Amino acid sequence: MLSSPGRQQRRVVVTGLGAVTPAGWGVKAFAQAILSGRTTIGGFTRFDHVAQRTHIAGEVPPEPPTLRRVRGWHRLSNTDRFAVGSALEASQQAGLAWPLADADAAVFFASSTGGLLETERFVHALFDPGVATATRGLLASYSLSSPAEAIARRLGVTAAVETVSSACAASALAIEQALRAIRRGEVEVAFTGGSDCLCVTTYAGFNALRAVDEHPCRPFRADRAGLSLGEGAAVLVLESLDHAVARGAAPLAELMGAGASCDASHMTAPNPDGYWAAEAMRRALADAGLDSSAIDFLNAHGTATPLNDAAEAAAIGLVFGDRAHAVPVEATKGVVGHLLGAAGAVEAVATIVSLRAGTLHPTPESGPVDDALGVDLVLGRPRTSSTLRTAMSANLGFGGANAALVLRRWSEESES
Amino acid sequence: MLNEVELRQELKALIVQTLRFEGLTADRLADDTPLFGEGLGLDSVDALELVVALEKAYGITIRSHEVDKSVFTSVDSLGKFVARTLVAASTESAVNAQ
Repeated sequence: MLSSPGRQQRRVVVTGLGAVTPAGWGVKAFAQAILSGRTTIGGFTRFDHVAQRTHIAGEVPPEPPTLRRVRGWHRLSNTDRFAVGSALEASQQAGLAWPLADADAAVFFASSTGGLLETERFVHALFDPGVATATRGLLASYSLSSPAEAIARRLGVTAAVETVSSACAASALAIEQALRAIRRGEVEVAFTGGSDCLCVTTYAGFNALRAVDEHPCRPFRADRAGLSLGEGAAVLVLESLDHAVARGAAPLAELMGAGASCDASHMTAPNPDGYWAAEAMRRALADAGLDSSAIDFLNAHGTATPLNDAAEAAAIGLVFGDRAHAVPVEATKGVVGHLLGAAGAVEAVATIVSLRAGTLHPTPESGPVDDALGVDLVLGRPRTSSTLRTAMSANLGFGGANAALVLRRWSEESES
Repeated sequence: MLNEVELRQELKALIVQTLRFEGLTADRLADDTPLFGEGLGLDSVDALELVVALEKAYGITIRSHEVDKSVFTSVDSLGKFVARTLVAASTESAVNAQ
C-alpha cells in the first residue's frame, strides 16, 4: 500500500443515498433492478419520438403521490423532481436533523440538461400553438443550476450550492468537489449527485452521432452498437467521519478518493489509448492512498459505444496491468441506460449497493463479451463474493472529461 | 354581463386551462381556496401567467403597481376584482362615448 498524505486528511463517509431511476423512485427499486440484471430500457412516452432513428430509452415511472404534495412541486422540471426526490430520500436515510446549521451543509450537484425538456415543450408550443400553450412556467427551471437550487430550497441548505456540468463525468466530478470541500473543513455535510431527464435535444443529438443502439445497450459485448439513454438522479450525503460519529450516524461507505483528468483531444470521441482515462483512475487511487491491487471490482462507464468501451478497456489495462483481465467489471448502463449528468452518481450508488450486498450486479446477457477487450464483465448472473471491500467507479464523458471515485464498504473496523 | 357565480366558474376554468399542472382541476378550486402558499401552492410565475390570461380573456389591463396582492387571494377575490375592473372600463367607455 502506498503511503499518502490523504490519510492525514479528514475522512469522508457516505451516510445517505437516494436514487430515482427507470427502475422506480428509491434506492431499493434500483438495487433490485441491478442485482437482478434485468434491463429497464424499453419503449417510452416522455416525448414524441416517431421521427427519431431509435425508439427506446430508460424512462422514470410517475412519482409517488406523496411527493406531489411537496410545496412548489408543480413548478419543478422533471430533472428538478428527480433531484428533489433523491435528496429527500438520502436526507431521510442520513437522519439529519433539520434545519442544519447555516455553515454545515452544501450542495455540489450535476446536470447536463437541467430543464431542457420543458424548454423544448415551451418552444414547440410557441411555434405550433395548435399542440399546446406556451406556458411561461415551463421556462422557470430551464437552467442547469436549477436542480441544485431546488434541493437547497427544499432542504434549507445555506452554505455553497454549486453546479457541475461536464458531460457524462459531471456527477462524479460533483462528488469530487464535495469530497474536497469536506476535507478542507469548509462544510461538514454535502448533498451531492446529479440529475437529468430525457429530452429531444440529447435523444436526437446522440442519434445524429449514430451513437444510440436500436436495442437495449450491450456494454463490452462484441456486438455492441451504441448507448441507450436513460433518465433519473442520485444523491449521496457525504459527511466528515467526525461529524457522522458525533451525531451517531451509521456510515454506509467511505469515499476514499477521487481523481479527474481530460483527454484534451476531441469533442466526442475518447482518446483510444485510454491514457488520460487511466490517469483519472490513478489519481483517484493516489488520492485514496491505495495501489490498484486494493480494488476488488470496477464499476465501469461502459456506455456500449464501440469507441468508449475500447478506450475504457485500454485504460483498465494501463491501471491494473497483469490483473486487468481478472478485475470484475460492472456495467450499470445495461440495466438503466446512460443517465448523462446523473450517471456518475447513480453508478456510485450501484457501487455502494454492490459493496454492501457482497454481490456484483450483472449486465443483462444478450451475447458474448468482446474478447478483444479482455475485461471480466459480470454478465447475466450476479456474482457473490465475501471479500468485496474496495471498488472504483469510473466515468468518461464527452470532451474527454474523465473522473474516478474509490469507495470502501464500511465496517466496524473501518473507524479505527 | 356575467353574474358573479358564472364569472367565478369562468375564472376557475381559466385558471385550470392556463396553468395546466397535474392534479389541478376546477373541482379542486372552491371559491375561497387560497391560490398561493398552503392552498393551491401557486407562485409568482403562475401569477404572471394569470395576469396575462385575464388581460386576454377580459380585454382589461392589469398594472402591477395598481393591483393589490390580495386580489389573487382566491377565486372569490379575483372575481370581485375582474367585475370591478369591467364595470370601471364600461363606465369609462360610456363617458368617452358621450
